[in-house]
Amino acid sequence: MEVYDCINEFERDFSLMELLGGVDRARLHAALETLLGCAVRLLDRDGRPVLGSAHAAGGQRLALAVELEPVGYLEIAGEVAPAAAQAAAALMAMILRTGARYLMASSLHLHTVKSDYEELQRRHEALTASEARYRDLAQHLEQRVAEQVQTIDQNQRQLYQAEKMASVGQLAAGVAHEINNPIGFIKSNLTTARQYSAKLAEYAAAIKAGAPPAQLQQAWRQLDLDFITEDFAALLDESIHGAERVARIVADLKDFSNIDRSGTEWTDINERIRSVCNVAATQIKGDIELVLDLGEVPRLRCDAGRIGQVLMNLLLNAIQAVADRGRIRIATRPAGDGIAITVEDNGCGIPREALSRIFDPFYTRREVGAGTGLGLTVSRDIVAAHSGRIEVQSAEGQGTTFTIYLPVEVN
Amino acid sequence: MAELDESGSKLTIKLVYYGPAMSGKTTNLMSLHDVLRPELKGEIMTLETKNDRTLFFDLLPLGIRAPSGLLIKFKLYTVPGQVAHDSTRKAVLSRADGVVFVADSQLAQGLNNAEAFENLADNAARVGLDFETLPLVVQYNKRDLPGIVAEQDVLARWTTTSWPVVFASAVSGLGVRTTFAELLRRVYRAVDAQYQLAAAHRLDEDRFVSAAVGGAD
Repeated sequence: MEVYDCINEFERDFSLMELLGGVDRARLHAALETLLGCAVRLLDRDGRPVLGSAHAAGGQRLALAVELEPVGYLEIAGEVAPAAAQAAAALMAMILRTGARYLMASSLHLHTVKSDYEELQRRHEALTASEARYRDLAQHLEQRVAEQVQTIDQNQRQLYQAEKMASVGQLAAGVAHEINNPIGFIKSNLTTARQYSAKLAEYAAAIKAGAPPAQLQQAWRQLDLDFITEDFAALLDESIHGAERVARIVADLKDFSNIDRSGTEWTDINERIRSVCNVAATQIKGDIELVLDLGEVPRLRCDAGRIGQVLMNLLLNAIQAVADRGRIRIATRPAGDGIAITVEDNGCGIPREALSRIFDPFYTRREVGAGTGLGLTVSRDIVAAHSGRIEVQSAEGQGTTFTIYLPVEVN
Repeated sequence: MAELDESGSKLTIKLVYYGPAMSGKTTNLMSLHDVLRPELKGEIMTLETKNDRTLFFDLLPLGIRAPSGLLIKFKLYTVPGQVAHDSTRKAVLSRADGVVFVADSQLAQGLNNAEAFENLADNAARVGLDFETLPLVVQYNKRDLPGIVAEQDVLARWTTTSWPVVFASAVSGLGVRTTFAELLRRVYRAVDAQYQLAAAHRLDEDRFVSAAVGGAD
């Protein structure tokens, strides 16, 4: 902040000596005396002589004004015509005014140069300070970037986890039903089997007691053991089959959920697709035809759990797209130095305006709560992490095709 | 800020003509020099460049005497209007007792007027003047030219403010004395109490103004 608490140098009243600062006073004095033909003196505003000798005292005194009030006086010792005296005073005033103009201009100039310089210095200091801040920032930038990367990494992992939990949640109800169903009939079969074994025990007791053959034959018929022996085998077969079904579902689910298994392994993608279809089968209701068209493809070195997550996402999307009626086709084929996986449906399709946004995080066209809006984002990230790419083609009302290209080995 | 000299016999009052470049600030001073009839009138001192642009400032000294014998000296300054000379404008504006803002009435100058007025407010703050209480008169100059903003438009814009507006044509002297008189009244009200103009020097507002202007408008 500039200080303006005292009067500016250029505004103050200058003294006669200051005003004559640029003038050769001896020559001025000589010129005045020559012009007027007599001795002259110049006095300051207080009457003190500043030019000329004392013997000229006592003549006529003319005020010399630069602005309004006299800054000094011209004293003429001899008899001089009033007009000549006035002309000499006017001439002096002009000289003094020129001096005043010079003094005002130069002191104002100095003032502005000084304040401009101070302003520049202030800006220079501010720039120096800001440069130091930026240098400091640059030095810490690498560390800050590393911290940020770590934060982003952590957030991404949480995001993946959240998305996985959402898919698992969507599956859980169907899976529970699918497991409940065989468990139900296994339990019912076992209850029946207990009744059958009781009847067999009753018959065994008759044999042990040495009952005659006729009595035994009668007991056999009474206990309906012809039917029981036949049905016992059948219900055991059915129960074993049911238990195998549960075991398979659990194995597939375990396979699917085990996506945190770190590292990559050589994986048969076709097998992975079958496993995903088994888990998702619980979601297929109504008149949906699921076609697997799996070609001869090389094994991939990949993170099998995560690729399974991608396939599950695409399959669940396709199931939602066809609603209760439609056809979903999953195909694999070799492509370049890797394979192509196609998930195709003839469902509702994606509107053109939404197509460019479907991979954006949190973009969803489903109702609030029905989707995380992360499925395709995470899928794209997983595929990208495998040096692959994911493409989509869609026509509204006709269906959607997602194609994933994966190299045999991650670069 | 008015200055009383050491002996207490001279009060110097500083008045500044502010405004955008080429709005007629120097012309105002020259015209005032011609039309005013105060007791004391100095020569106008111009510090200008070749092409009529003020480089530092112009100065017109005027003087009146109070019945008490007190000399009241008015120093009328103009500032350089060109944007580049802001440091000079600040130095000249510092310690001003009153300001005339000379606006250019030409339609094309609206933006320049606004920017110059904003610059006046900014610089007033920078040099420690309270813009709210600073005596200020707005003059719309160049009313003689074609293509100028209409009077009612000017008035509609400024009536919401506390500053009076005067229409002028400085080149013919029209309105310059009125502008000056309006400013003097406001300046008198601002300095009277501190310097006891009425009480100690028997100089009331009307006399203060009429002595400085001299004669009828």
